[in-house]
Amino acid sequence: MTAADTQPPAAAPPQFVAEGPWRTRGEMALLYVASILGALGLSALLVAMTGHSWQRVFGALLDGAFLAPGRWGNTLTVAMPMLLVALGTVVAVRAGLFNIGQEGQLLMGAMLMAVAGTKMEGPGVLLLVVGLVLGAFAGGAFAGISAVMRYRRGVPEVISTLLMVFVALQLTGFAVITAWFLRDNDPNRPQRAQTSAALDADTHLPEIHILGNSFSLGVILAVILALLVAFVLARTVWGFRLRVLGHNPIVAQKIGIAAKHTGSRALFISGAFAGLAGAMMLASGSSSYRFTPGFSTNIGWQGLLVALLARSRPIACIPMALLFAALRTGSGFLASTGVDRKIVDVTQALLVLALLIPPAVSFVRERRRAVAAATGDRV
Amino acid sequence: MALPEDIPQGAPAALEVRGMTKRFGNLVACADVDLVLRRGEIHGILGENGAGKSTLMRMFIGLALPDSGTIAIDGEPYRIIDPLHAAARGIGMVHQHYSLVDALTVWENVALGETGRLDPEATRARIRAISERYGLDVDPDARVRDLTAGVRQRVEIIKCLRHEPRILILDEPTSVLSPAESEQLFSVLKEGVRREGWAVALVSHKLDEILHASDRITIMRDGRVVHRVLTADANAASLARAMVGRDVSLRSESAAIGVVDEAALAADTATVAANVPPVLEITGATVRGADRRVLLDDLTLSVAPGEIVGVAGVEGNGQEPLSHVMSSLLALESGTVRVAGAEVRTGVAGAMMHAGVAVIPADRHASGCVMDLSVAENLVLSSIDRYTDRGVLRRDAIRKRAEALIAEFDVHTPGPDTPFGQLSGGNQQRAVLARVLSVGPKVLVAVQPTRGLDVGAIEYIGERLQRAAADGIGVLLVSTDLGEIAALAHRIAVIYRGRIIGEMRRAELDMERLGLLIGGSTEGEAA
Repeated sequence: MTAADTQPPAAAPPQFVAEGPWRTRGEMALLYVASILGALGLSALLVAMTGHSWQRVFGALLDGAFLAPGRWGNTLTVAMPMLLVALGTVVAVRAGLFNIGQEGQLLMGAMLMAVAGTKMEGPGVLLLVVGLVLGAFAGGAFAGISAVMRYRRGVPEVISTLLMVFVALQLTGFAVITAWFLRDNDPNRPQRAQTSAALDADTHLPEIHILGNSFSLGVILAVILALLVAFVLARTVWGFRLRVLGHNPIVAQKIGIAAKHTGSRALFISGAFAGLAGAMMLASGSSSYRFTPGFSTNIGWQGLLVALLARSRPIACIPMALLFAALRTGSGFLASTGVDRKIVDVTQALLVLALLIPPAVSFVRERRRAVAAATGDRV
Repeated sequence: MALPEDIPQGAPAALEVRGMTKRFGNLVACADVDLVLRRGEIHGILGENGAGKSTLMRMFIGLALPDSGTIAIDGEPYRIIDPLHAAARGIGMVHQHYSLVDALTVWENVALGETGRLDPEATRARIRAISERYGLDVDPDARVRDLTAGVRQRVEIIKCLRHEPRILILDEPTSVLSPAESEQLFSVLKEGVRREGWAVALVSHKLDEILHASDRITIMRDGRVVHRVLTADANAASLARAMVGRDVSLRSESAAIGVVDEAALAADTATVAANVPPVLEITGATVRGADRRVLLDDLTLSVAPGEIVGVAGVEGNGQEPLSHVMSSLLALESGTVRVAGAEVRTGVAGAMMHAGVAVIPADRHASGCVMDLSVAENLVLSSIDRYTDRGVLRRDAIRKRAEALIAEFDVHTPGPDTPFGQLSGGNQQRAVLARVLSVGPKVLVAVQPTRGLDVGAIEYIGERLQRAAADGIGVLLVSTDLGEIAALAHRIAVIYRGRIIGEMRRAELDMERLGLLIGGSTEGEAA
C-alpha cells in the first residue's frame, strides 16, 4: 500500500485478530478445568446414586494408580504402550491420515516379539533388539498394506486400518493355537493351548527400580521417542513436508511432495509405533511375558484416544497417556469399595467427552469469527 | 463525508435507508450510510472491493442486521430480519454467487424453497411466462449443469422475479458474464424499470458498466458514501477519483475499475522480439474430467520470454484445468507442455515447479498457501531445501529470508511467525507473489491474480507482473477481467470451451471483436 500510506486512515480495518493470546489461553485453561471437574462431578453423582461413597471410590482410584506401594511404577509401565501408540497416531494425523487400526498393528508387533523371543536362538540382548525391531516393522508393514490400498485403489485408510484389526485378531489367534507357530509346547503347563511360551528372562526389557517402585526401561524410551517425534515434526524438513501434506495436499503436490510417498511413509511409521508398543508390552511383562489372543487389551484403542485428546501434539501425549494409565491401574483397587469397576469406563468416557468440550467451544467461536469476517469484508 | 441527497420533489422512494451502520469486530463495514432507491430507476452502487457495498445490500434483505439505522419501504418504517421477510415486502436479490443445484432441472431449482405441494406444470408455466415477459430465454426442463453462466444467471433472476419483487438488488451480476450477456442483462433491467416501475440497485466495481446502465450513481469507499451523482452529469474521471480517493492515472489501476482506454493501449505496445524461442509451449493439450466432459480441447499456446500473454474468457471455459495442468495437479490426456524447450511431465508432483513454472492460483486459499503454517514457512515453501542443514530446518535462515521478502514485497504482517490465515487478502496475495517470484521462475502463470483485492493491491500486482516480464520471465495471465488483460498483456488469446479460439496482439486490440470471441465468436451475437 505504498501510495495509500499517504492517505489518512479511514476506519482502519484490523488485519489481525485483536484478541490477545493470553486472554484466550487463560480462558481455555479455565474451560479445561471446568470440563474435567464436571466429568468428575458426574462420576461422583453416579457413584452416589448407586449407594456408595464417592470419596472412597476416588480414594481407591488414587491408591491404585499412584499411592499404594509399587503402584505408580506399574502405572508408568501401562502408560508406555499408550504413549507409543499415540505418537504413531500423531504422525499419521499430521500427514492428514487417520490410522485407527493400532489395536491390530500392536498385536502384530507383540507377535513378532514373541517369535523372536521364543523361536530364535542367540544372545538375549540381541534377541530383544531383534524382537523390538521386527515388532515395529510388523506393525509398520501391517499399516503399509492400508497405505497400498489407499494410494493404489483409493480405499480410505480409516476403513482399511480398522478392518485390518480383525485380520490381525484372526492371524494372532491362529498363531497361538498352532503347534509349529507360537503355541507353548511345554507339556508340564496346563491350559497351554491358547498362549505362547514365556519370553526368556534375558530377553526381557530391563526394569528400573526407584523409590520402592519399578517400571520398564521402555518408559524412558517412549518419552525419548515423544521428544524425538516432537522435534522431527517441528524442526526437520521431513516433518515440514508431512505438515504441508496434512494441511494442504494440493499445495504439497505443487511443490513436489507426492502424497503417495510421504503419506505411505507416515502410515508405515504410524503402524511401526503401534508395533513397537506391542513388542515392548510383551518384553515388559504384559500377561506374564506370554503372547495371548487378547494380548492387546484395548491399549491400541486407548492410545488412539490419547492422541485425540492431546490434539495431535506429541508432548501433550505424555500427560494424557499417564491419565489413561492411571484410570486403568486405579480401577484395580475398586473392588474393595464394592463398586463395579465398570464405573471407571464411564468416568473415562466422561473425561474424554469433557476434554473435547474446550476445543469444540474454541472451534465454534473461531468459526463464528470467520463467518463474521467473511460476511463483513467480502464484497 | 455524507453529501446531501438530491431527491426530486414528489418522487416516491421505494426503499429509503438512513444512518445504516454495521460493524464486524473492529471493522466498520458500513458507516452511517443513507440511500434512496426510487421506482423506475436503476441506481448504480459503485465502489472498490471492500467498500461495503455488499454488506449494505445484505442488510436490505435481512442477511445482515444493521447495528443502527432505519429502513423505510414506501415511506413506511420497517425492520427486515431475514430474506423471507424481505421477499414478502417485495425485495429480491440476485447474488454474486449462484445458489443452484447442478443436478436438478431449471424448474426444480425454481421450485426449491417453495412451501406446499409441488406443482411441476404450474412452475413450468410460471417460468415460461416470466421468460416471455422479460425476454429471459430459459428452457424450464434443461438441467442446470448443462447451462452456461449467463443462462444460470437468468435462472437466478427468474427465481427472484417469481416473487414479483418491486425492489431488485443485483450484486456484481456481470462478473461471470461475457460482454454480450452483460448487455442483455442490462436491457432486461431497463425493460423492467420502464414497464413495471422496478427500483433496481446495481452493485458493481466496474465503472464503465455503471456509467452505461444506471440512472443515478452512489459511490462508496471505506464503508461510507463519498459521492452521489446523476449518471447524465457524471464523467469517468471524477467517478474514478471518488472511488479510489485520489487521481487515477496508472493503467493497471484503470484496469482495476474497468476503464479501458483503447487509444492509450495501442499507443505503447511493448515490442517483444519475434525470433526468440518461446519459454512456454503448450501443444494440443487435451484433458477430460471424471465425467468424460472435455475440459481442455486441443489447446495450443506459447509464451515468449519477457512477454505477457493474456488468456481472456468467461469463467468456466478451461481456465481452471489450464491452471491445474501448470501446477502439476492434472495430467494431460494428450499433448505436451514444454518449458524452455524441455518437455515437462504433467501431473507429477513438483515437476512443473522444478522446471521453472510458478503459479499464482485463482483460489489462493485452497492451493496457493498453507493457512495453518506461519508467514515465514509459507514464504519459503517452494525452496525449503535451501534452508536445511542435514534435514534440520535452519530457522534463523528461514526467518531472515522471510523478513527480506516481507520487506521487498511490502507484506503487512506483525511478523514472520504470524499464522498465514491472519493476513488480509491483499497481503496474502503479496506473500504468494513473493514466494513464487523468489525462486527465479522461467514462467509465471497468474490466474485471476487480482480478484477480490483492493485497488492498491491490484496496482501492485499489475506492476509486479510487468516487472517480471521485463526481467525476461514469460507471463501467462489468465483472467476473466477484460480490462486487466487489455492493460497488461502484449498478446491476448481467447479461451472458449477449453480451446484457444482466437489471438490478437495488443496493437490490434479490438474490444468488440474480443467481446464476440469471448462469447464464442458468432454465438456471442446470437445469444
